[in-house]
Amino acid sequence: MNLKQNIIVLLVLLFNTSLFAQEEYTIKGIVTSQADNTTLPGVTYRIVNTDKGGATDFDGNFEIKVQKGDVLEFSYLGYVKQLVVIEDQKTLAISMVEDNTSLDEIVVVGYGTRKKSNLTGAISKIGGDDVAAVQATRVDEALAGKLAGVLIQNASGEPGADPKIQIRAASSVSGSTNPLIVVDGFPISGSLATVNSNDIQSIEILKDAASAAIYGSRGANGVVLVTTKKGKTGKPKFSYNTYSSFSNKYRDNILKTGSEWAAHSRAEIAAGNWDVSQIDPAFLEYRLTGYENSPDEMSVEDFLYQTGNTTSHNFSMSGGTDDVKYFGSVGYQDATGIVRTQGFERLNARLNIDAKLGEKFKTGISFNGFASKRQIVGWDVRDLSRAYSVHPIYHTEASIAFVQALDQQAQALGLSSFDSGVNGGATEALGYNRSIYTLEPGDYVNDWHYGRANNGIGGSGDQGPAAKLDNSERTQRTYFMNINSYLSYNILEGLDVKTVLGGDMRDTQDYYWRGLMSDAKGRGSATNLDQTDVKVSSILSETTLNYTKDFGKHNLAAIAGVEFQSTTFRGTSLDGTNVPNTAVVNFSLLLPADIAVKERDETRVRKSIFGRVNYAYDDKYLASVSIRRDGDSRFGANNQYATFPAVSVGWNAHKESFLEDNDVLSKLKLRFSTGSLGTASFLGSYNSLSLLSPTATVYGTGFNIPSDVANLDLTWQTNTETNFGFDLGFLNNRFTLGVDYYTSDIEDILINQSVSEVLGTNAIKLNSGDVRSSGVEFEFSAAIIQKNDFSWNVNANLSTVNTEITDLGGLDELPRQPVGQSGRDVVFRNYVGGQIGEMWALETAGQVEMKYLEDGTRNPNNSTGEYYVIDQNNDGVIDKTRTVEEGGDLVKVGQNTPDFYWGLNSSMSYKDFDMSLQFQGAQGAEVFNIDPYYYGSQWGGRLVDGFKDADGRAVHNGMFVKGAKDNLDANVQDASYLALRNITIGYTLKQNLAKKVGLSSVRVYGAATNLLYLMADNYTSYNPEGIETTGDYNGPTTSGFQVGASPVVRSFTLGLNLNF
Amino acid sequence: MKKIKIILLGLMLVVSACSTDLDQSPSNIASPESLTDFDGVLNAAYNYQTGSATPIAVMGDFRADNTQFDESPHNSFATFNGDVSTMEGDFFQPFYSALYKSILSTNIVIENSSNARHIGEAKFLRGLAYFKLVKVFGDVTLNLSAAPSTEDTSILKRKPVADVYAQIVSDLTDAKSALDNSGLSSGRASAIAAQGLLGKVYMQMGDYMNAESNLAAVVNGAGAAGLGLMPNFADIFGSGTDLNTEVIFATQISGSIAISDYSGTTFPLWSNGGDTKSDEDPITADLVNAFDAAGDTTRKNATIDLSGPSRIAVKYGSAGAEQDFIELRLADVILLYAEALNENGNSSSAITQLNKIRSRANLANVTATAKATVRTAIANERRLELALEGHRWFDLVRTGAVNAEMGMNIDSNYHLFPIPTSEIFASNGVITQNPGY
Repeated sequence: MNLKQNIIVLLVLLFNTSLFAQEEYTIKGIVTSQADNTTLPGVTYRIVNTDKGGATDFDGNFEIKVQKGDVLEFSYLGYVKQLVVIEDQKTLAISMVEDNTSLDEIVVVGYGTRKKSNLTGAISKIGGDDVAAVQATRVDEALAGKLAGVLIQNASGEPGADPKIQIRAASSVSGSTNPLIVVDGFPISGSLATVNSNDIQSIEILKDAASAAIYGSRGANGVVLVTTKKGKTGKPKFSYNTYSSFSNKYRDNILKTGSEWAAHSRAEIAAGNWDVSQIDPAFLEYRLTGYENSPDEMSVEDFLYQTGNTTSHNFSMSGGTDDVKYFGSVGYQDATGIVRTQGFERLNARLNIDAKLGEKFKTGISFNGFASKRQIVGWDVRDLSRAYSVHPIYHTEASIAFVQALDQQAQALGLSSFDSGVNGGATEALGYNRSIYTLEPGDYVNDWHYGRANNGIGGSGDQGPAAKLDNSERTQRTYFMNINSYLSYNILEGLDVKTVLGGDMRDTQDYYWRGLMSDAKGRGSATNLDQTDVKVSSILSETTLNYTKDFGKHNLAAIAGVEFQSTTFRGTSLDGTNVPNTAVVNFSLLLPADIAVKERDETRVRKSIFGRVNYAYDDKYLASVSIRRDGDSRFGANNQYATFPAVSVGWNAHKESFLEDNDVLSKLKLRFSTGSLGTASFLGSYNSLSLLSPTATVYGTGFNIPSDVANLDLTWQTNTETNFGFDLGFLNNRFTLGVDYYTSDIEDILINQSVSEVLGTNAIKLNSGDVRSSGVEFEFSAAIIQKNDFSWNVNANLSTVNTEITDLGGLDELPRQPVGQSGRDVVFRNYVGGQIGEMWALETAGQVEMKYLEDGTRNPNNSTGEYYVIDQNNDGVIDKTRTVEEGGDLVKVGQNTPDFYWGLNSSMSYKDFDMSLQFQGAQGAEVFNIDPYYYGSQWGGRLVDGFKDADGRAVHNGMFVKGAKDNLDANVQDASYLALRNITIGYTLKQNLAKKVGLSSVRVYGAATNLLYLMADNYTSYNPEGIETTGDYNGPTTSGFQVGASPVVRSFTLGLNLNF
Repeated sequence: MKKIKIILLGLMLVVSACSTDLDQSPSNIASPESLTDFDGVLNAAYNYQTGSATPIAVMGDFRADNTQFDESPHNSFATFNGDVSTMEGDFFQPFYSALYKSILSTNIVIENSSNARHIGEAKFLRGLAYFKLVKVFGDVTLNLSAAPSTEDTSILKRKPVADVYAQIVSDLTDAKSALDNSGLSSGRASAIAAQGLLGKVYMQMGDYMNAESNLAAVVNGAGAAGLGLMPNFADIFGSGTDLNTEVIFATQISGSIAISDYSGTTFPLWSNGGDTKSDEDPITADLVNAFDAAGDTTRKNATIDLSGPSRIAVKYGSAGAEQDFIELRLADVILLYAEALNENGNSSSAITQLNKIRSRANLANVTATAKATVRTAIANERRLELALEGHRWFDLVRTGAVNAEMGMNIDSNYHLFPIPTSEIFASNGVITQNPGY
């Protein structure tokens, strides 16, 4: 063959080859997210092994020239990569599945973000959707049971009330355990309640010192970082969520009605358990038939509690271009509580805008507004429950006739008439009814209308519960606004400078009115008209320099910054008394002398400087160092500054060669961190100074003794914490387990130390003492089933916490504090070697039997109220001031921190249905429940003569007998519980049906909260989680007593989520 | 565009350079160092005494045989064992707290003020405060410093009664010399009040000689000071006439000014049926019989009312929350003077004084001269004259008549009241409890 022929053959071959080679054609398609069928813009696609590719547009469309045999790869952050082999498809519909291995998930850390795989600290994260899925009035309530190491206690049970949040161990002996709340980088002065749960993108909780140390002096209680949703490039997206629920109290029928009591009394008498020999039989019969025949009797429980309901609406929109992105939302919620007069209403609005100015500047502004009104029950529920359930709440004709007849019977028996028991002062002129013979139907029923204990079936001389509730009101209004703006400039590649300027303002108004008609004696001095207005405003300015660089396998991220924050408190409070009984209640109707006015004007300033360096080598070896120096105006002049360092290291062992190809173990990460944090705890603005407060006296202005003694050395509490952790992942991280063990050592604890009244105050603040805590946390998650149309994920967490006081600055023990209500106390002890806030009391061995009561029928729900007490050391004396070791009889009876708390969440989805269950519980805490002392034995307790001898011993068995005011353990009850907090079943409408009505997705759901709530056997009230945070409460040293806590609520919800 | 960038960068720098000051103090509250005039602190010292009024009134009459509670746990006042310590939160603790605050305020004035008059008034109040404390608790902590140590608990140790009395006597003597009688018209301390109180203190101590001389000076100097017995017994009490010629010193109480520390029912209401704990016969049958045995209708009708179903007091009328607490009045001084004279052997002068009180009460003169008889007559007269003013129990203890009048054998431990347990805890045991409690 000559050359010419070769060339022709070659040409023909080439031609044929190109003829045989498949034509390139353009393939088009659309990429959507499998979870909610929305289109995904910005999805990267490429032909594998080439550099041809692109990204999907606003509407998720793509178009590329391909040939048969090409492999198209679609990848998007947070989603599993998809590969499609080109055969001859003309169009492709790609459905991207979310990636639950989350190896590259971004986690927000203080002042920045970090890849989750590079984290070395103990941080727990929860997504915004998980938070919004729980129908709670507040974000913090919704977090209960979802995160290890975070204990949320529903302290009061009322809608809109602050729960108690504790991250890991209490880092404060006095003062609150509330963590620092940072929303989009700005530490806010409000609580988590000001954030609408539908606005949340994610919440990260910084638990250990190394993570929280960058926040220095406020980080010791942990830090909650909230990131709100931001817009994304693309067409505007809208979302509307609404739900409606009704609720009831979980536990019923604790109080007995008159007829139940009569039946019970008769049975007990017949069985010989009660001794009625000292009562006139005619009187006894008169009383029992009185209980039985009282018409229209109503249990106080039925009157006080009602069915509550809640409605919530939330609307948000987000979108943006490459240069400007926005997210805005408006939310409204209205709840009526389960207790009469309880309610909560709130309105939220948010706008987040992020913009790029040219290539180098980024800026953004964020605005959040919140307004709420909380209607709190105006009267102590414990006190309202003391009324006898032997009569209706409002008189009827039958009850009036009955009462008059009963009075006649009483007089026939020689007893005093009911009218003679009416107390002086409450005159007709004021509107009081002084005689049962002038009652009209519809009038309030007061117990005395039915006589008193010595001549009838009624009880107290007080006004009835309806009169008390109708004549009292307690409202709290909060207005909160937060504006946050930032400007960031990219100086060089990897080096940015950012400045943040923000402010927030919180205005709270507390209003309390107690009217004249609520007091049976018509005493003006028992009335109140109080209003407190406080405005807290805070300005923060922060400038940081950020540097991120990858040098080959080295990854470096460093940050340095300065921060200034100034907070002012301005407020006035008016306390009025002698409120006249008028239809309109107004301060201008009170005499000037009856209004005490106080004002408040305080400023606190903080200055800080901080820096952090994060280093990762080959994504395998990780290290991080941070340091912060804070100065705070609240401390004594000698000690205003302190420095807080932290260091942490980690090892991604699963990236090592010996584990890289392991099929089973897909993650093995070891972490260690240690650091120190400070806290100002409960300090007010001027506690290091000694200030005289002006007061009115008969002679003119007086200066009251300062409540603080000047202390120039008052300083930070320092918390040094060490955390060991490891994270395991199996089967491509389908199963993951995280375990953390931490120890924390708090020094220079700020305590409110009780001192003798000789000093003019009963407590002074000082730094004194050392507390050590430790705990273990487990976080487990499993994607048990992951099929196309059926998936089941479970995650669980369990946390333990132990605290021990190791030093008290030379003292063995802090002064003991008897805490409770009106003298019904237990003694709180805080001593070296013990836990914080241990409850000590005399050990009881049962209540004195009813048969030793002079008159057991006297009061429905009666119990003797006196208890047999054990003489621990058999010395013949009951000493309630000393412990057994000291020769007395006090023993430890409990403590309010649980031994462990846990949560279990299960979510399943089958085709278009989804179901999630959330269990939560805490075990091992005790609570001192004061209420049963009141509704049990309040008006009873008179034992027969001769029951006790001169020493206070029961004559019949030699045991000592003591009453409720003698520090008994009788009402220290087990506060453990197990709850099915939430069960939600949802159904998502098929995509095409939704599109027909112009929506991109529709989901309806039904849910129940507290469907099941198991309480301990010996707990006899409505809410084991309830603890008192006012009154005698003095921080963790005296935490764990309960007075009239609002009940656990069970509710049923129906809701709708729309996206369009 | 470049200009805008420069401006923005500049903004960032400016914002970061905000300067702030870490030394903050409030603009609307004073600190002790800044005071030059101690008027305000002295006023506070007077105001703190209001917290001791109702507790001592209750202790004086309800512990004795004049009045009674009918409901638990308040009826522990009627049993003489450790039970009454359940009442510490209601009475003994506010009493203790208010008085020590008053004492601390007076210490501040005494140590820092340059005004002799103020120092005189402060010493009077300090003497009065310690007198009330020592009558109720016996040995008490003696604090004479304006800034007692917060670390050294040994300063809290209870001092023996004799030492406390020595201090009281010293303070009242100084007050007497530093003051004049102008305070009588404004409800403040005066020389005659200091002297009268000094006499009363000596009586409590059992020093009849010193008592007699001081009380004599008061009785004889009363006219010059504008004091005299009110012709009508009932006019002494009630809000409209509480700065009358008979009152030498009263703790001023006003319905619109908060009472320090104590927050319960006020003393007039405890005895007139105004509180459910004592609304069934607050007045004992024993007191009624005492009035009847003496044939005293004037004071009986002005003190109690038997017309209703319950025996209640009417001594304070409808004054209620406005009624000042009378610490010292002329009738009390005269009766103490009579008692001192009698104990010192001068029975005839004693009955001259006694009869002044009797004739005001429209009763016949006493003519007996035997010491023991006169003593009994004076004691009975005191009971009827000063009923419901917080004196009875302390008089019984002082004269050793507790068992005889109460009709039972009462352990002398229970002549005193229990120290609040919070004090024992707060001082880590340095302050000890009274025996028996």
